[in-house]
Amino acid sequence: MKLPITCQLDIVRISVIASALALTLAFSPRITRADETCSSPYLARIDGQEEFVYVWTLGVEGLGDGQDKLVTVDVRPGSSTYGKVISTASVDGRNEAHHGGFTDDRRQLWCAGLETSRVFIFDVHTDPAKPKLTKTIDNFAETTGGAIGPHGAYALPGRVIIPCLSNATDKGGRTALVEYSNDGNYIATHWLPTKDVARGAANAQFADGYGYDARVLPRKNALLTSSFTGWNNYTTDFGKMTADAEAMKHFGNTMVMWDFHTRQPKKVFEVPGAPLEIRWAWGDKHNYAFTATALGSKLWLVYADDKGEWQAKEVAPISDVKGGVLPVDISLSADDKTLFVDSFGDGKCRVFDVSDPQHPKQIYEKEIGKQVNMVSQSWDGKRLYFTSSLLAHWDKQGADNEQFLRAYAWDGKELKPRFDLDFTALKLGRPHHMLFGSTKIGSPRTVASIR
Amino acid sequence: MIAAGAARAVASQKFHRAVSPKAFSLITAFAFILLIFAAITRSMIAADLPRESEFDYDPPPPGSYTLPVVKLAADGVLLDTNNKAVNLRDLTHGRVTVLSFVYTRCAAPKACPYATGVLGQLHDMTAKDETLARNMRLVSISFDPDYDTPQHLAAYSENVREEKSGCEWRFVTAKSRAELEPILLAYDQAVDKRSNPADPQGPLYHTLRVFLIDREGRIRNIYSSSTLDPRLVLADVKTLLLEEPKLSKQ
Repeated sequence: MKLPITCQLDIVRISVIASALALTLAFSPRITRADETCSSPYLARIDGQEEFVYVWTLGVEGLGDGQDKLVTVDVRPGSSTYGKVISTASVDGRNEAHHGGFTDDRRQLWCAGLETSRVFIFDVHTDPAKPKLTKTIDNFAETTGGAIGPHGAYALPGRVIIPCLSNATDKGGRTALVEYSNDGNYIATHWLPTKDVARGAANAQFADGYGYDARVLPRKNALLTSSFTGWNNYTTDFGKMTADAEAMKHFGNTMVMWDFHTRQPKKVFEVPGAPLEIRWAWGDKHNYAFTATALGSKLWLVYADDKGEWQAKEVAPISDVKGGVLPVDISLSADDKTLFVDSFGDGKCRVFDVSDPQHPKQIYEKEIGKQVNMVSQSWDGKRLYFTSSLLAHWDKQGADNEQFLRAYAWDGKELKPRFDLDFTALKLGRPHHMLFGSTKIGSPRTVASIR
Repeated sequence: MIAAGAARAVASQKFHRAVSPKAFSLITAFAFILLIFAAITRSMIAADLPRESEFDYDPPPPGSYTLPVVKLAADGVLLDTNNKAVNLRDLTHGRVTVLSFVYTRCAAPKACPYATGVLGQLHDMTAKDETLARNMRLVSISFDPDYDTPQHLAAYSENVREEKSGCEWRFVTAKSRAELEPILLAYDQAVDKRSNPADPQGPLYHTLRVFLIDREGRIRNIYSSSTLDPRLVLADVKTLLLEEPKLSKQ
C-alpha cells in the first residue's frame, strides 16, 4: 500500500524524533548524573559528580575577617585539595547569611542575608572554583514594597523567586514571594494570603501570611509554600525568645498551594509548628511533597488524593524525645525512597524509608555533631554533606557551638565519614547552606528515573 | 500534542541529521506508533489541546491573571531569510510576540526541536483565528549563524511552517556570532560549545529560552522546556490581548 505523501513525510519526521530519542537513551546511561536532590527542577544540571561545594557562611565577629562569605570546598575525587577550602569570597559585613540558589542557567549564585535583606549575586560560571561577587541588591525592602528577610533564591526560567520571612512594617511573620529577573531586575511581589486578604484561597480561616520555602512541581503547575517566623524572632537570642510566650505565638502554622503560573494562592493547609523545607518527590507519577515541622517534630505529607485534590497530613513523628528535637533541613533521595532529616536539637540525622510516603519508617540515625542544620545530597544518593549553623542568634553556646562542614558516604545502610572541616579553626564562621558547583553543566531535569 | 509539534520541528533536520539504515529499521515500528499518535493529536490542535502527563493541569482562563513586566526586549541588527538587515525592535513591537532562540542543528528532544514544534502549533492555531493572526507574531532567532545562514533558515522555515496563512513567523540569524553576542547577553540566553562537537544532542549547549513580548516591546514571560506548554502560551497571549480594551471587544 502506498502511503500518502503527507504520511511519508511524517514517517521521516517521526523517524528523526525516534532517532533523537534513541540517541538520548543510548548515551544517557553513560553519564553519571550527580546533583543535590533538593534543587529547582528548572536548574541546569551537573554532568557527573559535583566538583565543588559552595557554603554560604555567616561571619563571626573577631573570627577571621568577621564577614559573611561564600566558601568553596573542593570535592573532586583524586584532587590534591580534596576536602579542602580552595577559595573564599567575602561580602560586606554580617547579614545573617542563610540560603542561596542558582539561576536556571547555573551561571549565578544568589545568596541572601536574612537580617539586612541584602542579596549577593556571585558569578560561578567564569571560574566555578572561584566565585566572584558581581552585584549586590541592597534596596530589597523599598523595591519589593516592604518584603524583608529574603530566604534564598529558587530558579525559574529566566528569573528567580525569593521566598521571604518578614515585612518591613512590623517585622513579624507576614511576608511575600518576590521575583527578580536573572539580571537582577525586580519583577513582582506576591503576598502570602491571610484571613483578611485571602486572594481567593480556600481554607482562608487558617491563613497566617507567613512564609519560608517555595517549591514547584512543574507538571502539576503546583507551587507550595511553607512558613516560619518573622525578623523579630529570628534576630532574637534563642533562649530569650523561647522564654517569651508571646514571641512563641508568632510562628507559622500553614502551608499554601498556589497556581504556579498565575501565582494565585489556591488552598491553605493547617500544618502546625513551623513547616520548613519542602521536598517534592521526583517520580513522574509521585504527586507529593514532604516537610518537617520544626516546633512539632513531625513529618508531613502534602499530596494529591484520588480525586486530584491537594491535601496535607501528618505521617510520622521525628523522634520520641519529649519537647521535640527541632527538625530543620530534610533531603529526599532522587528515587523518592529515602528521606534524611536533620535535627538541630540533638545534632542527629535520622533516615526514613519513605517508599510508602503515607507511612514513613525510621531506619537509621547518627549524631553528626553537637548541632546540625543543613544536609545536601548528591543525585546518586552516595554522598551527603552536613553543616552546623541554624542562625547566629540561635546556635548553641560554648562547647556545643561546633561549626563544621562534614561529608559522608551513604551505602544505603549507614553514613561513613569522608572529611571534616572545622569552620571555627579555619576562621571562616558559621556554615549554613550548601550548593554544588561544577565545570560540567548539562540540561534541566524535571523528573527522575525511579530505580 | 507534543508528538505532533515535535514531528514538525525536527522535520527540518532531515537536511543534516542522517539516520543510518540500521537505526532506521530499528525505529520504524516506533515511528509508526508515533505517527498514529501525531495524526490524532494534530487533529486536536484547533480544538481544545489535551492535557499531557508533563503538563497535567488545566490552563488558567485568559485574563484571569496578570503577567508582570520582566524587562524590555533588547534591540539589535539581524538578518532575515532574504539576507536583509532587520532591526530586532521591529520584530518585538506592534504585535504580541513569541520569540524563541534556537539552532537548527539541535537534536536535544526537549530543546530547539520542541520549541519550534510549539511555535508551529501556535502558528497552526492562528491560521484558524483571525484575531490571533492579525495580532500575534512568532520569531525564531538562530544563535548558530555560521551554520544557520539566511538561505538555510529560509529552507528550514518552509519545512516547519505548515500553514501558509496564519500569523507572521519570522526566522532570523546574524552575520556573525560576534554581532549576535550582545543580543544573547541582553536576553540572558546562555550558549556554549559542547566539549564534544559530535555530541548526539548537537554541538552547542544552551538553556531553552522562549519569550513572550507585548506590543510595547516588554518581556512579559519567559518559558523553558518545563513551562513551554502551548496551552499556557496561548492563554498568556490572549491575556495580553485582553489588556487592550479595543481588541477585547473584537
